[in-house]
Amino acid sequence: MPPLETTIDPITKAKTTAVNGSLIEARGISKHFGDLHVLDNIDFALSPSEVVCVIGPSGSGKSTLLRCLAFLEPYDDGNVYIHGQLLGYEQRGGMRIRASEKAIDRVRAPLGMVFQHFHLWPHRTALQNVTEALRLVQGLSRREADREGMAMLKRVGLFDRAHHYPASLSGGQKQRVAIARALAMKPEVMLFDEPTSALDPELVGEVLAVMKQLASDGMTMAIVTHEMGFAANVADRVVFMDEGRIVESGKPETLFRRPASERLSQFLNTWRERALT
Amino acid sequence: MFDFQLLFEMRGLILQGLWNTVWICFLGCLVALGLGLVLASLRLSSPRLVGPLVATYIELCRGIPLLVILFLLYYGGPSIGLRLSAEIAGLVGIGLYGAGYFAEIYRGGFLSIPQGQLEAARMLGISRLNILRRIQIPQMLQLIVPPSTNQLIILVKESALLSVISVDDLTKNATAMVNETFAVIEPYITVALLYWLIIETIARGGYALEKRLAQRSRMPTPSSSDTAGATHATS
Ligand SMILES: Nc1ncnc2c1ncn2[C@@H]1O[C@H](COP(=O)(O)OP(=O)(O)OP(=O)(O)O)[C@@H](O)[C@H]1O
Ligand SMILES: [Mg+2]
Repeated sequence: MPPLETTIDPITKAKTTAVNGSLIEARGISKHFGDLHVLDNIDFALSPSEVVCVIGPSGSGKSTLLRCLAFLEPYDDGNVYIHGQLLGYEQRGGMRIRASEKAIDRVRAPLGMVFQHFHLWPHRTALQNVTEALRLVQGLSRREADREGMAMLKRVGLFDRAHHYPASLSGGQKQRVAIARALAMKPEVMLFDEPTSALDPELVGEVLAVMKQLASDGMTMAIVTHEMGFAANVADRVVFMDEGRIVESGKPETLFRRPASERLSQFLNTWRERALT
Repeated sequence: MFDFQLLFEMRGLILQGLWNTVWICFLGCLVALGLGLVLASLRLSSPRLVGPLVATYIELCRGIPLLVILFLLYYGGPSIGLRLSAEIAGLVGIGLYGAGYFAEIYRGGFLSIPQGQLEAARMLGISRLNILRRIQIPQMLQLIVPPSTNQLIILVKESALLSVISVDDLTKNATAMVNETFAVIEPYITVALLYWLIIETIARGGYALEKRLAQRSRMPTPSSSDTAGATHATS
């Protein structure tokens, strides 16, 4: 990891000291798409080694939250800090301006992301998918990158699929390659957006197993998921979102057994009914 | 009777015409290919600011005959202090005109690549330029080679218009031969064959490239790739 830069800006600095302990901290972030208020004043933080699952009905803003945390989607209001550094914007003379791509890359370097639809590069083999950034970004030699890449594939149980193209991998295998690809950059935080939702049911387990292993290795993770069982077992904290707000947040036992809000109990009931049919 | 003796005597004009057509088209097409890529990238990376300007440019290329563009450059240029030789005006004309068409071809290629692949790359810290080089261009090549080959051929054919602004290209020199010898068939048949030769070379080159790309990447076509919700230009 590159050494963290000390920010000179007094505003940012003040915040830096305040967010001690959190890897990622979002404060009062909002996001609009036209008239649609998708995120409404959200506070969200992740401490080192914490595993947080984000649940909520479709359209509640879960993906948008994750994408704003990674600045794949610029947030309109509020601040996102990674290691105390403001992500995506720069304060200049009291004004907020969009940071350069380079600055964004530097601040979000500790983040890795896994998408619902994998987004592997189809013209590269599994191994090449994993080594691409090692070579282009970290400047490793081909041999070093290959060694590192094979180690990552081994970690997700795909050592023997290294030279396969994505098209000849199953969904579960693709997602595991995508996880290996993100892990290769040694992230401190992994963001998962419904990593198993595009998979056939029988392939969900292998991906969840890898994620569970990651969690027990101490990886900090934020996971948007509909896998309530996984959330109950693995999450340190569950966050329930609805209509762009965090309605409830707490330990999975508490949240699942004694939901405080009407909306969460409704959501859980719907889920249970669906699970039974 | 086809008079080969006459052609031999006129070989200077023929070769000069061939040479001019070839180098002007070659450089003009390079400009068109390069500028087209820049235009397409600009349009997609800045849809609100630069995008509409690029779109207008493309509309103009499609809406104005090449001959008019050449007249504007060659005869109109001097009035704004732009003094180009006929050859350079021709080269620039082909480059500017072709760029509009190539920009559209590339745009289709870019759009065939799902946005998520680029986001995945951005999250790994891969720079825009490397994304273009390593992820976008390799995948769009297969898709854009056939229409690009076609467009190059059209540009070479349209380059005959350079004769109108007094470039000594194949067409102009053919006419010069006619005027000199009063033979009509031999000069025009000869340049027709030479144009065909150039174009056939481009067509075969394009075809070979297409085959090589298909072989090299055992990669699936974009439509069968591991993506959902993506729009594809072709299927
Ligand atoms: N790029 C966009 N442009 C316009 N509207 C968008 C965009 N992305 C998301 N939205 C809208 O924002 C709202 C929240 O979307 P989001 O994808 O964050 O929900 P979600 O909780 O992840 O839902 P799901 O469980 O279906 O994935 C939805 O109403 C969606 O239609
Ligand atoms: Mg979503």
